[in-house]
Amino acid sequence: MDITETKHDHYSVFKLNGRLDSNTAMGFEQKLFECMENGTQRMILDFQELDYISSAGLRVILKATKNLKSAEGKLVLCAMQDYVKEVFEISGFDSFLPIEATLDDAVKTV
Amino acid sequence: MGTISFALKNNLSELDVLCDHISQFSRSCGASKRQTFEINLALDELFTNIISHGFADEEEHHVHVTCVNEGGVLTITIEDDGIPFNPTGAPHPNLACAFKDREIGGLGIHLIRSYMDRIDYTREDGKNVLVLTKAL
Repeated sequence: MDITETKHDHYSVFKLNGRLDSNTAMGFEQKLFECMENGTQRMILDFQELDYISSAGLRVILKATKNLKSAEGKLVLCAMQDYVKEVFEISGFDSFLPIEATLDDAVKTV
Repeated sequence: MGTISFALKNNLSELDVLCDHISQFSRSCGASKRQTFEINLALDELFTNIISHGFADEEEHHVHVTCVNEGGVLTITIEDDGIPFNPTGAPHPNLACAFKDREIGGLGIHLIRSYMDRIDYTREDGKNVLVLTKAL
Protein backbone atom coordinates (compact mmCIF):
# COMPACT_ATOMS: atom_id res chain seq x y z
CA MET A 1 0.00 0.00 0.00
CA ASP A 2 1.27 3.49 -0.86
CA ILE A 3 0.75 6.45 1.42
CA THR A 4 1.10 9.97 0.06
CA GLU A 5 1.25 12.74 2.62
CA THR A 6 0.32 16.31 1.74
CA LYS A 7 0.94 18.94 4.40
CA HIS A 8 -1.28 22.01 4.70
CA ASP A 9 -1.24 24.89 7.17
CA HIS A 10 -2.99 23.23 10.05
CA TYR A 11 -3.63 19.70 8.81
CA SER A 12 -2.14 16.83 6.79
CA VAL A 13 -3.84 14.63 4.21
CA PHE A 14 -2.79 10.99 3.88
CA LYS A 15 -3.92 9.42 0.65
CA LEU A 16 -3.90 5.62 0.79
CA ASN A 17 -3.55 3.54 -2.35
CA GLY A 18 -4.14 -0.21 -2.28
CA ARG A 19 -4.89 -2.54 0.63
CA LEU A 20 -4.79 -1.86 4.36
CA ASP A 21 -4.44 -5.33 5.88
CA SER A 22 -2.31 -7.17 8.48
CA ASN A 23 0.71 -6.88 6.19
CA THR A 24 0.53 -3.15 5.55
CA ALA A 25 -1.02 -1.97 8.82
CA MET A 26 2.26 -1.76 10.74
CA GLY A 27 3.90 0.53 8.18
CA PHE A 28 0.81 2.70 8.20
CA GLU A 29 0.83 2.92 12.00
CA GLN A 30 4.50 3.90 12.00
CA LYS A 31 3.85 6.64 9.45
CA LEU A 32 0.90 8.10 11.36
CA PHE A 33 2.64 8.05 14.72
CA GLU A 34 5.80 9.58 13.27
CA CYS A 35 3.70 12.49 12.01
CA MET A 36 1.96 12.86 15.36
CA GLU A 37 5.32 12.93 17.12
CA ASN A 38 6.39 15.70 14.74
CA GLY A 39 3.42 17.75 15.83
CA THR A 40 0.69 16.94 13.30
CA GLN A 41 -2.58 17.10 15.20
CA ARG A 42 -5.18 17.28 12.46
CA MET A 43 -5.27 14.52 9.90
CA ILE A 44 -7.42 13.50 6.98
CA LEU A 45 -7.29 9.96 5.64
CA ASP A 46 -8.30 9.98 1.97
CA PHE A 47 -9.65 6.53 1.06
CA GLN A 48 -10.45 7.29 -2.59
CA GLU A 49 -7.87 4.75 -3.83
CA LEU A 50 -8.23 2.29 -0.96
CA ASP A 51 -9.64 -1.04 -2.21
CA TYR A 52 -9.60 -2.98 1.01
CA ILE A 53 -9.48 -2.71 4.81
CA SER A 54 -9.44 -5.38 7.50
CA SER A 55 -9.62 -5.20 11.31
CA ALA A 56 -5.83 -4.64 11.35
CA GLY A 57 -6.45 -1.32 9.61
CA LEU A 58 -9.27 -0.44 11.97
CA ARG A 59 -6.94 -1.13 14.90
CA VAL A 60 -4.42 1.43 13.63
CA ILE A 61 -7.13 4.03 13.03
CA LEU A 62 -8.57 3.50 16.52
CA LYS A 63 -5.13 3.80 18.11
CA ALA A 64 -4.33 6.97 16.15
CA THR A 65 -7.70 8.52 16.97
CA LYS A 66 -7.29 7.85 20.69
CA ASN A 67 -3.82 9.37 20.58
CA LEU A 68 -4.98 12.47 18.71
CA LYS A 69 -8.00 13.01 20.94
CA SER A 70 -5.85 13.04 24.05
CA ALA A 71 -3.84 15.86 22.43
CA GLU A 72 -7.02 17.68 21.34
CA GLY A 73 -6.35 16.71 17.74
CA LYS A 74 -8.69 15.27 15.11
CA LEU A 75 -8.81 12.51 12.52
CA VAL A 76 -11.30 12.63 9.65
CA LEU A 77 -11.86 9.89 7.07
CA CYS A 78 -13.22 10.50 3.59
CA ALA A 79 -14.02 9.22 0.08
CA MET A 80 -14.67 5.59 1.02
CA GLN A 81 -15.92 2.93 -1.37
CA ASP A 82 -19.33 1.81 -0.13
CA TYR A 83 -18.16 -1.64 0.93
CA VAL A 84 -15.21 -0.11 2.83
CA LYS A 85 -17.63 2.20 4.64
CA GLU A 86 -19.72 -0.82 5.54
CA VAL A 87 -16.79 -2.31 7.47
CA PHE A 88 -16.79 0.80 9.66
CA GLU A 89 -20.56 0.57 10.08
CA ILE A 90 -20.56 -3.12 10.98
CA SER A 91 -17.79 -2.50 13.51
CA GLY A 92 -19.61 0.46 15.02
CA PHE A 93 -16.64 2.67 14.22
CA ASP A 94 -18.83 5.16 12.40
CA SER A 95 -20.29 6.17 15.76
CA PHE A 96 -17.08 7.89 16.85
CA LEU A 97 -15.12 8.49 13.65
CA PRO A 98 -16.06 11.40 11.39
CA ILE A 99 -16.54 9.98 7.89
CA GLU A 100 -17.08 12.48 5.08
CA ALA A 101 -18.13 11.77 1.50
CA THR A 102 -15.44 13.85 -0.16
CA LEU A 103 -12.02 15.34 0.56
CA ASP A 104 -13.53 18.84 0.33
CA ASP A 105 -16.05 17.97 3.03
CA ALA A 106 -13.26 16.53 5.18
CA VAL A 107 -11.19 19.70 4.83
CA LYS A 108 -14.15 21.73 6.12
CA THR A 109 -14.52 19.45 9.15
CA VAL A 110 -10.93 18.82 10.22
CA MET B 1 -19.76 -26.97 -9.90
CA GLY B 2 -16.35 -25.36 -9.39
CA THR B 3 -13.76 -26.32 -6.81
CA ILE B 4 -10.33 -25.06 -5.85
CA SER B 5 -7.97 -26.26 -3.16
CA PHE B 6 -4.72 -24.78 -1.92
CA ALA B 7 -2.39 -24.68 1.08
CA LEU B 8 -0.89 -21.64 2.75
CA LYS B 9 2.11 -21.44 5.03
CA ASN B 10 1.49 -19.97 8.48
CA ASN B 11 2.95 -16.63 7.51
CA LEU B 12 1.19 -13.28 7.10
CA SER B 13 2.92 -12.75 3.77
CA GLU B 14 0.66 -15.53 2.44
CA LEU B 15 -2.31 -13.17 2.78
CA ASP B 16 -1.69 -11.91 -0.74
CA VAL B 17 -1.75 -15.47 -2.08
CA LEU B 18 -5.00 -16.11 -0.21
CA CYS B 19 -6.52 -12.94 -1.61
CA ASP B 20 -5.54 -13.81 -5.19
CA HIS B 21 -7.01 -17.32 -4.98
CA ILE B 22 -10.23 -16.19 -3.32
CA SER B 23 -10.75 -13.22 -5.63
CA GLN B 24 -10.24 -15.33 -8.73
CA PHE B 25 -12.54 -18.07 -7.47
CA SER B 26 -15.28 -15.69 -6.33
CA ARG B 27 -15.30 -13.76 -9.58
CA SER B 28 -15.40 -17.00 -11.58
CA CYS B 29 -18.52 -17.97 -9.61
CA GLY B 30 -20.17 -14.70 -10.60
CA ALA B 31 -19.69 -12.90 -7.29
CA SER B 32 -19.99 -9.11 -7.41
CA LYS B 33 -17.08 -6.82 -6.45
CA ARG B 34 -18.74 -6.27 -3.07
CA GLN B 35 -19.25 -10.01 -2.45
CA THR B 36 -15.65 -10.74 -3.43
CA PHE B 37 -14.52 -8.08 -0.95
CA GLU B 38 -16.69 -9.63 1.78
CA ILE B 39 -15.42 -13.17 1.21
CA ASN B 40 -11.83 -11.93 1.06
CA LEU B 41 -12.22 -10.06 4.32
CA ALA B 42 -13.78 -13.02 6.13
CA LEU B 43 -10.97 -15.32 5.01
CA ASP B 44 -8.33 -12.70 5.82
CA GLU B 45 -9.62 -12.28 9.37
CA LEU B 46 -9.79 -16.03 9.87
CA PHE B 47 -6.35 -16.70 8.45
CA THR B 48 -4.81 -13.84 10.46
CA ASN B 49 -6.40 -15.25 13.62
CA ILE B 50 -5.04 -18.73 12.93
CA ILE B 51 -1.54 -17.40 12.21
CA SER B 52 -1.48 -15.11 15.23
CA HIS B 53 -2.91 -17.42 17.84
CA GLY B 54 -3.11 -20.93 16.47
CA PHE B 55 0.40 -22.29 16.77
CA ALA B 56 2.38 -22.67 19.97
CA ASP B 57 5.67 -23.55 18.28
CA GLU B 58 8.01 -21.89 15.78
CA GLU B 59 7.51 -24.60 13.18
CA GLU B 60 6.13 -24.15 9.72
CA HIS B 61 2.49 -25.21 9.48
CA HIS B 62 0.07 -25.30 6.61
CA VAL B 63 -3.48 -24.05 6.46
CA HIS B 64 -5.57 -25.88 3.88
CA VAL B 65 -8.36 -24.08 2.05
CA THR B 66 -10.98 -25.65 -0.20
CA CYS B 67 -13.64 -23.65 -2.01
CA VAL B 68 -16.68 -25.25 -3.62
CA ASN B 69 -19.41 -23.61 -5.65
CA GLU B 70 -22.71 -25.45 -5.87
CA GLY B 71 -25.38 -23.53 -7.69
CA GLY B 72 -24.21 -20.15 -6.42
CA VAL B 73 -23.67 -21.29 -2.84
CA LEU B 74 -20.01 -21.07 -1.88
CA THR B 75 -18.67 -23.43 0.78
CA ILE B 76 -15.17 -22.63 2.01
CA THR B 77 -13.40 -25.08 4.30
CA ILE B 78 -10.34 -24.01 6.27
CA GLU B 79 -8.30 -26.63 8.07
CA ASP B 80 -5.30 -26.13 10.38
CA ASP B 81 -3.43 -28.33 12.82
CA GLY B 82 -3.08 -25.63 15.46
CA ILE B 83 -4.31 -25.56 19.04
CA PRO B 84 -8.04 -26.19 19.43
CA PHE B 85 -9.87 -22.95 18.77
CA ASN B 86 -13.52 -22.45 17.98
CA PRO B 87 -14.17 -18.91 16.71
CA THR B 88 -17.93 -19.48 16.75
CA GLY B 89 -17.74 -19.62 20.52
CA ALA B 90 -16.06 -16.24 20.84
CA PRO B 91 -18.09 -13.55 22.64
CA HIS B 92 -19.60 -10.75 20.56
CA PRO B 93 -17.69 -7.49 20.86
CA ASN B 94 -19.36 -4.66 22.72
CA LEU B 95 -20.10 -2.27 19.88
CA ALA B 96 -22.10 0.14 21.96
CA CYS B 97 -19.55 0.95 24.61
CA ALA B 98 -17.96 4.37 24.94
CA PHE B 99 -15.20 5.25 22.51
CA LYS B 100 -12.48 5.36 25.11
CA ASP B 101 -13.30 1.80 26.11
CA ARG B 102 -13.46 0.42 22.55
CA GLU B 103 -11.11 -2.42 21.91
CA ILE B 104 -10.32 -4.29 18.73
CA GLY B 105 -10.73 -7.72 20.28
CA GLY B 106 -13.43 -9.81 18.70
CA LEU B 107 -13.81 -7.53 15.70
CA GLY B 108 -12.37 -10.00 13.19
CA ILE B 109 -14.83 -12.69 14.18
CA HIS B 110 -17.68 -10.20 14.20
CA LEU B 111 -16.85 -9.26 10.62
CA ILE B 112 -16.69 -12.94 9.59
CA ARG B 113 -20.13 -13.52 11.13
CA SER B 114 -21.54 -10.46 9.38
CA TYR B 115 -20.31 -11.38 5.93
CA MET B 116 -20.87 -15.14 5.84
CA ASP B 117 -24.23 -16.88 6.04
CA ARG B 118 -22.97 -19.73 8.19
CA ILE B 119 -19.88 -20.66 10.17
CA ASP B 120 -19.55 -24.24 11.40
CA TYR B 121 -16.68 -25.55 13.47
CA THR B 122 -15.51 -29.05 14.26
CA ARG B 123 -12.34 -30.52 15.65
CA GLU B 124 -11.27 -33.63 13.68
CA ASP B 125 -8.10 -35.71 13.89
CA GLY B 126 -6.23 -33.00 15.77
CA LYS B 127 -7.33 -30.31 13.32
CA ASN B 128 -9.56 -27.26 13.51
CA VAL B 129 -12.03 -27.47 10.63
CA LEU B 130 -14.05 -24.39 9.87
CA VAL B 131 -16.72 -24.32 7.17
CA LEU B 132 -17.97 -20.96 5.91
CA THR B 133 -21.01 -20.74 3.66
CA LYS B 134 -22.20 -17.85 1.56
CA ALA B 135 -24.98 -17.72 -1.02
CA LEU B 136 -24.21 -15.34 -3.87
